[in-house]
Amino acid sequence: MDNLNLGRHISGQFNEDIEAIINHVMQMGGMIEQQLTDALTAVNDNDAELVKKVIATDHTINQYEVDIDDECTRIIAKRQPAAGDLRLIMSISKSVADLERIGDDAEKIAKVALESFSSNQQDLLLNLDHLGRNVLSMLQTTLDAFARMDVEAALITHKHDVKIDRAYEALLRQLMTYMMEDPRSIPQIMTVIWSARALERIGDRCQNICENIIYYVKGKIARHLSAEELNNL
Amino acid sequence: MISVTPRALASQQEIRDLNNLTAEQVALKIQNLNLHYGDKQALFDISMLIPKGQVTAFIGPSGCGKSTLLRCINRMNDLVDICHIDGKILLHDENIYDKHVDVAMLRRKVGMVFQRPNPFPKSIYENVIYGLRLVGVKNRRELDEAVETALKSAALWNEVKDRLHESALGLSGGQQQRLVIARAIAIQPEVLLLDEPTSALDPISTLTIEELINDLKKQFTVVIVTHNMQQAARVSDQTAFMYMGELIEYSDTNTLFTTPTKKKTEDYITGRYG
Repeated sequence: MDNLNLGRHISGQFNEDIEAIINHVMQMGGMIEQQLTDALTAVNDNDAELVKKVIATDHTINQYEVDIDDECTRIIAKRQPAAGDLRLIMSISKSVADLERIGDDAEKIAKVALESFSSNQQDLLLNLDHLGRNVLSMLQTTLDAFARMDVEAALITHKHDVKIDRAYEALLRQLMTYMMEDPRSIPQIMTVIWSARALERIGDRCQNICENIIYYVKGKIARHLSAEELNNL
Repeated sequence: MISVTPRALASQQEIRDLNNLTAEQVALKIQNLNLHYGDKQALFDISMLIPKGQVTAFIGPSGCGKSTLLRCINRMNDLVDICHIDGKILLHDENIYDKHVDVAMLRRKVGMVFQRPNPFPKSIYENVIYGLRLVGVKNRRELDEAVETALKSAALWNEVKDRLHESALGLSGGQQQRLVIARAIAIQPEVLLLDEPTSALDPISTLTIEELINDLKKQFTVVIVTHNMQQAARVSDQTAFMYMGELIEYSDTNTLFTTPTKKKTEDYITGRYG
């Protein structure tokens, strides 16, 4: 967040409060990234222990969200932030809500590892893992853009979601074929569909966070815009 | 400035382009105003349109010229010998600095309230009708009505209606300031200038005055100078940020406090070192 000018408030306490919030968001972001990595590994390795860890960590993440939101509320009440400071606080408050939901999604994905899959269904998991790695990379670039409040990176990452949507649709078509071929596999395949859906949602939430970055830096609403409108912001 | 997408909420529709107001929407037109105190220039080429029936706030650090600009609007700076002004301020398309303008008449149209409440050492009643007496109103009933209307508009009537003939100096600071506002509006001005009207008041009296300002704009054009940025954000429809005698940014208050376009404005309203 070096381009933020955060340290220049006349009130040193205000600087410290904002720095503290940002640090907490970064910690939370790091945990989320680890959660998604662990969830994907758990599914890949069929690792029930790792699933437990993901579930346990999600509680901590929920608490982070509550605490950071509380810090934002306190800053608004005590400091009446304006302009860039206000946009920063609003962006953080909205982004932590999205981060928390990404945590929930990671938990859902991890739970796929608890299902038993026959050996000829392993392909499904491989394709899910492929989508998962793609989403993980989008999450990493999002968090990176957020850490630097880098609007260019946010725009590029925002566009990346189209690819994820396409990969998700392709996977869905493939899963439907499996279901038609072997209706007995529907329960397992449904589980895979839910987690693919969760991955696709993570892409959307990363997009939201990118929009918050754009709002903070440019002061312009980036929500509900076409790719072209977004470029012209 | 104007959003292309229709807004879902009516309250969001008030954003307007302050450079493109129709003639009926404009109360005051300030054009290329420069002001010198002796050799020192205090205002640099100020041009702005002040909309009718709205609250316009001037903000900026001490010495930025905001009070000086406010005082130009009813020619209070005439009292300063070394003060030299060029440029125009148009009220109804008439330059208030034209030679033939009667300053007393101008000040009937453009009333002013100062930082510290300055009631006269007279009764509440006499304070309110002071301006009317000066212009020769003598009819008792007319005066009574004017007192009631002005005090009601100034949200003071209920507190003082049973003691109208007691000394105004017995009122609290907040009440005195509202009395002074009642005195200013009793003569039915078009524009009301408020020079830090709440800086000497406690928070509750401040909120009462702010509430009052919101009511007053239904009848008058209000221009307020304030040191308190949150106050400008709360009461005004548009805000002008001034710095070192220059008008840095002038836009609707919602925009100025969320997405200012100039870095100086941003630094000032977020409390950063300039």
